[in-house]
Amino acid sequence: MNQKFWQSEWFGPLLITVTAIVIVSSLNPSFLSPFNIQILLLAISVNAMIAFSQMIIIAIGQMNLSVGAIGGMAAISFGGMMEVWGIPWPIAAVLSLSIGLLAGIANGALCAYTGISAFVITLASLSIFKGINLGITEAQPFYDIPDTVKSLGNDTFLHPLPWLVLPAVAAAVLLWYLLFRLPLGRAILAVGGNEHAAALSGISVPRIVIVAHAISGLLAALAGIMLVGRLQIGQPTIGDDWLILSFAAPVIGGAILTGGHVSVAGTFLGVAIVAIITQVLVLFSIDPFLVQVVLGGLILWAVGINRYREVRAHRKIAAGAI
Amino acid sequence: MSDTSQDRAPEGDDSQTRPSAMGGPLRFLLSNEFGLIVLVLLFGILFSTLSPAFLSKFSLYALGRTSAVNIMIGFSMMVVIITGGLNLSVGAIGVGAAMFGGWLMQAFGMPWVPGVIGGLAMGAALGALNGVIIVRSGLHSFIITLATMSIFFGVMIYLTRAESYREISPAFTSYGRMKILGVISPLLLVTFAVAIMLSVLFRFTALGREMLVAGANARAAEISGIRVNRMITYCHMLSGILAGVAGLMLVSRTGAAIPSMAGQLGQDWLLPAFLGPVLGGTLLTGGRLSVLGTLLGSFLVTMLTTGLLLMQVGAFWIQTYLGLLLLAAVLIDLARRSYLERRKLL
Repeated sequence: MNQKFWQSEWFGPLLITVTAIVIVSSLNPSFLSPFNIQILLLAISVNAMIAFSQMIIIAIGQMNLSVGAIGGMAAISFGGMMEVWGIPWPIAAVLSLSIGLLAGIANGALCAYTGISAFVITLASLSIFKGINLGITEAQPFYDIPDTVKSLGNDTFLHPLPWLVLPAVAAAVLLWYLLFRLPLGRAILAVGGNEHAAALSGISVPRIVIVAHAISGLLAALAGIMLVGRLQIGQPTIGDDWLILSFAAPVIGGAILTGGHVSVAGTFLGVAIVAIITQVLVLFSIDPFLVQVVLGGLILWAVGINRYREVRAHRKIAAGAI
Repeated sequence: MSDTSQDRAPEGDDSQTRPSAMGGPLRFLLSNEFGLIVLVLLFGILFSTLSPAFLSKFSLYALGRTSAVNIMIGFSMMVVIITGGLNLSVGAIGVGAAMFGGWLMQAFGMPWVPGVIGGLAMGAALGALNGVIIVRSGLHSFIITLATMSIFFGVMIYLTRAESYREISPAFTSYGRMKILGVISPLLLVTFAVAIMLSVLFRFTALGREMLVAGANARAAEISGIRVNRMITYCHMLSGILAGVAGLMLVSRTGAAIPSMAGQLGQDWLLPAFLGPVLGGTLLTGGRLSVLGTLLGSFLVTMLTTGLLLMQVGAFWIQTYLGLLLLAAVLIDLARRSYLERRKLL
């Protein structure tokens, strides 16, 4: 705990976020208008959920290609249950969340008990979940969403703070508490850091893998449900474009892809940076197609920095040993 | 899993090249290729009895033409998997190469040969770029190709303004529609030619063997004088070229270079790209490949998709079936491997 705060992995992203806000708002004052802040926070809230969903899997040193598919499946179940079965929205939300949870548990159990790489398992489940989504909806959205859900997805409870900020902040705090204060979270990071060592020190690795995937599924489902409220329809295409973002934000936040090292605050700031850049492209009417290029560039830049930091740390340890 | 495959990887390839060396027929009967042939025949009989239209000339022609592209996509992933890595940007490179070829033909009125060469050169360049970044940074190919997938596709969409090139040389598009003997597409012949070239490369040339060894055990390869980094870059370059071939085949078939032909970011190619090699028994940890297996695997997938669509068994559920197939394939492969291992112990 003697690490200086400017050396921590979230300090760089924080600096970038603050600098970006200062520069952009001086160039275009409408950036800090309450309405724009509301839009920005809505995007950040949903995207933070997507990023956390991937972050918890990165923490155990795996990857989850199916976050978008789980989110999409939960989103259309949420919309479908309300429209077709007329289920009240809180119950529909809970049921959709449990679908996400079950999907995550299925992913985790397959990874844990077969020993097949998470990449292949989640590639297969991505296809299965997306297929279920298309099979049920036949690519048609559910339009009949209750007004309460629509207003929760867009309105503010305290101007300019939208309702959606609440679950995002709650998820961030709970995840931080889980990962850095609870034994379960420490076990998750231990498995990511060195699976073999974790197993030898008495941690049940399969159990931890399943728990991490279950949390990932739950968060992805939550992101899907939040998007239904925000978009005001149950779109079958929800989740299709989550993959790049879900990796970009944790990596910008300093997560090491081999596992064992993630930062909740860093991931949150990573999401903020991505949201600000997307907004800037819109505000200055720069080609929106370039968002993809910028996102890809950000990932390369961030993994480069993380890698450099890792190498330097190793060198320091080596020098200290001599 | 990775430990055992690492140990066996250097000689694992022998089960394909010399089936008679150990155990003879039993070993072949337990191989992926044999299983795939049985499955192809079984589903062929099933589909043709359930729906007579399956064996019609048009249906067979369409099947051959579609599988030609899917097999090529599978090859493109296969040559990277042998390094123990993967290439998420196959779709983005394939579309990028196809769009570049289309642009050359439309904007400069180039004949198709230089246009295609230009497209393939673009594929090779993008693949090589992937390889260089991966080797230089020492990072896993997953995150690098995830980033470049976004970058390649974004730049392509930005430069083309998301518009198609439709003025493709007619001589080129005629290949995509030509029928040899009424049922065979020239595209399928291209795929077979590439398959033979790949077999020769990985079986009989020093370069191909060095690529495999570099993938099987990088340290051992390095010590025995193989330039591992260069081999990995070559593999990615080859992957880019093959993705370009697949993209240009689609251009030839549809008669236009369309930016959305592999879906958003080229993601639609990912599943076929992995299904072929994984079904065909290419080890994801690297060092071992089966060209015939990938060919059969991709063909089986295409046949299942076509057959299910023909029988109108819920077209929207196809993706679920393919996902279940991939899952079943890896689980069966796991069982087969542990069976073989146990027999060796006994």
